[in-house]
Amino acid sequence: MGSGILKIMIKEEWRLHTSLFGKNMFAIFPIVICVGAFITSLFLPYIQTVMTTKQMLQSAHYLFIFFGVTIGAFGLTGKEVMNRRFGQASLIAYSSRSLPVSERFIFLNFLIKDIIYYLFFWILPIILGLTFATFFISINTVSMIIACGTLILSFLIGLSIIFLLSTIYAHSSKIFIFLLISMVFVFVVLTNYYSISIATMLLPFSIFYYPSNTKLLLIILLIIIPSAIGLIFLKVDYPERKKQYHNSLTDLTIKLKFSPHSYYIAKDFLDLKRSEGGLGKIIFSFLFPIALTWLFLYIFLEFIPNIKAIMIFSIFLGIVSASIYNMLTAFDTFNPYMFLPVKVSTIIKSKIISYLIINIISFVILIFVAISLNQLNWFLPALCSFITISVYSLSMTIYFAGLHPTILFYNSKIFSQYVITVAPLLFVFTIISILNPYLMFFCPILLIPAILVLRQSYQKWDKWKPLSI
Amino acid sequence: MSVIEINNLTKEFGELKAVNNVTLSIDKGQLFGLLGPNGSGKTTMIKMLTGQTKPSNGDAKIFNIDVLKNPIKVREIVGIIPEQETPPSFLTAEEYLEFVGKIRNIENIKEKSDKWFKMLDFADQKNVLCKDLSRGTRQKLMVAQAFIHEPELAFIDEPLINLDPIIQRTLKDFLLNYIKKGNTVFFSTHVLEIAEEICTQIGIIDKGKLLHQGPITELKTKKQHLEEFFLKLVKEG
Repeated sequence: MGSGILKIMIKEEWRLHTSLFGKNMFAIFPIVICVGAFITSLFLPYIQTVMTTKQMLQSAHYLFIFFGVTIGAFGLTGKEVMNRRFGQASLIAYSSRSLPVSERFIFLNFLIKDIIYYLFFWILPIILGLTFATFFISINTVSMIIACGTLILSFLIGLSIIFLLSTIYAHSSKIFIFLLISMVFVFVVLTNYYSISIATMLLPFSIFYYPSNTKLLLIILLIIIPSAIGLIFLKVDYPERKKQYHNSLTDLTIKLKFSPHSYYIAKDFLDLKRSEGGLGKIIFSFLFPIALTWLFLYIFLEFIPNIKAIMIFSIFLGIVSASIYNMLTAFDTFNPYMFLPVKVSTIIKSKIISYLIINIISFVILIFVAISLNQLNWFLPALCSFITISVYSLSMTIYFAGLHPTILFYNSKIFSQYVITVAPLLFVFTIISILNPYLMFFCPILLIPAILVLRQSYQKWDKWKPLSI
Repeated sequence: MSVIEINNLTKEFGELKAVNNVTLSIDKGQLFGLLGPNGSGKTTMIKMLTGQTKPSNGDAKIFNIDVLKNPIKVREIVGIIPEQETPPSFLTAEEYLEFVGKIRNIENIKEKSDKWFKMLDFADQKNVLCKDLSRGTRQKLMVAQAFIHEPELAFIDEPLINLDPIIQRTLKDFLLNYIKKGNTVFFSTHVLEIAEEICTQIGIIDKGKLLHQGPITELKTKKQHLEEFFLKLVKEG
């Protein structure tokens, strides 16, 4: 029965995406990722001029853990997204309510299905792209294939750990915070008092250079045990009594009256607050990846002490903060507005304001990181860089995907267009940030095209029939 | 005076003609029932008339406003109960009506909401999140949002579905009283008994084609049952 449900879930996911933008556009998606990874890999020899191969590989392992964490976080909120979009009875994920199968069993299949999908649509294409590139650059193909294997392990560790943490959070936010603090404490003790290097603790990276059966066993345990604990203690709430809420819309609307879209924004915040996970969504899909980025950059400083880490962080922060818009749109569709006198552009504008308000968190984080890295003197150029990337990538996201980025970005054409317009900017910003951060004072000039693109987007999406999802 | 004028309205989905060259005119003060089997084009027709979907051909005017050119203006002045009840999940019923009130610039929204909570008997559910409401209560909420701004014209798609017999009676009485005041209702259903009971005019649609249009009294004069008439018409195509 298990493989049967898994097979049907995979089919369901396939049909869900292909019904939205056709089989070809969805099927080409991994090819686009593969080509992107291939082209990026061709730049590896240039990166080798500033970093050693070992440092690059270590960074790649961090990135794959990071990837596992972000994808895992979205996958966990994804169930609720489905709930909002399709109702509780329409997907197999909800069949435990009508068929004799347990919620735990369904969720296990859901998790495996997600892992398979992300492996086929993201990880394997990246690995293929990297491997092809070895024929054109001076990197050993076999070493690259082994490295890819260890990178997959890093990805799975990230996924497994976030699954465990989110289950703990679902039970008790206090235990969750205690656990996070304990983890940081153990990390600090191990690195500072026992002189265990971070590279040693990063087992998939360590096994690449110093293979051993013990390490492999530990990695497997690190993947299986957190997932298993997460699954055993999976918490699914079926509230027996309908909870009553005070009317918060009125008060929130008054507080937000500076915007003509105050009631839409108030609704966004109520959505975030009252939906499953509540604050957890922001923690797992935004703050956690940001914290990891900060940690990685902190470690990077060991490799390249001359780099202005705050500048690189601001670029990451700009891109990761875009996930706030995805989150805001993932929990709201246009369906409830279809029969009301509301334009798509009105909803988009309100989401932008909500996005900017939540991004105050990003601003505070940037200040905190500048202080913690002792790089306050670079704060202003970093702020320019963050604001520009954040607004520019948001404008492109809105232009290409409107209110449906989490769905339309699986259309290979749309995703390629987005990458082509955003990736070169990130590349140029990174180079400038390394060479002369003060040049970033000029980057806000890009806000002009970003605003023009936004205006075009409003017209585009007002003409376009919203996806009926 | 016609409040709805439809000329050669057509909607194609690839090869399929969901609505096929429909021409129709509905006067003020009518309760027009569009009847048809499942998938006959009733919902598509309502969506085109309220600017939720663009017709492939033809045009429609609501209170002389071209729907294609000004769909938002049309949705401002009419009330709509959609086919599926889809209020936003994380607002309470009360907040949702307030939200609709803000969008529609309605004054005294609280009083008006309370009137609907009382009339449809769901005041005890007003602080419950829409996602936790039963389908019937959600349908009551959709009825309330459609009429809360007291529109002169309402498009209602299977409005009585999921409602218990008591509320069905309340709503039917409301609709009859509503048209007495000179308002108009465009009502889509496949439940013939309801149409026979409350509609003043009917249209029968099948496979996108309008097969019949006329006052319900025509049938009563001929002593013909609507069900009999409907089945014969649909079979003959």
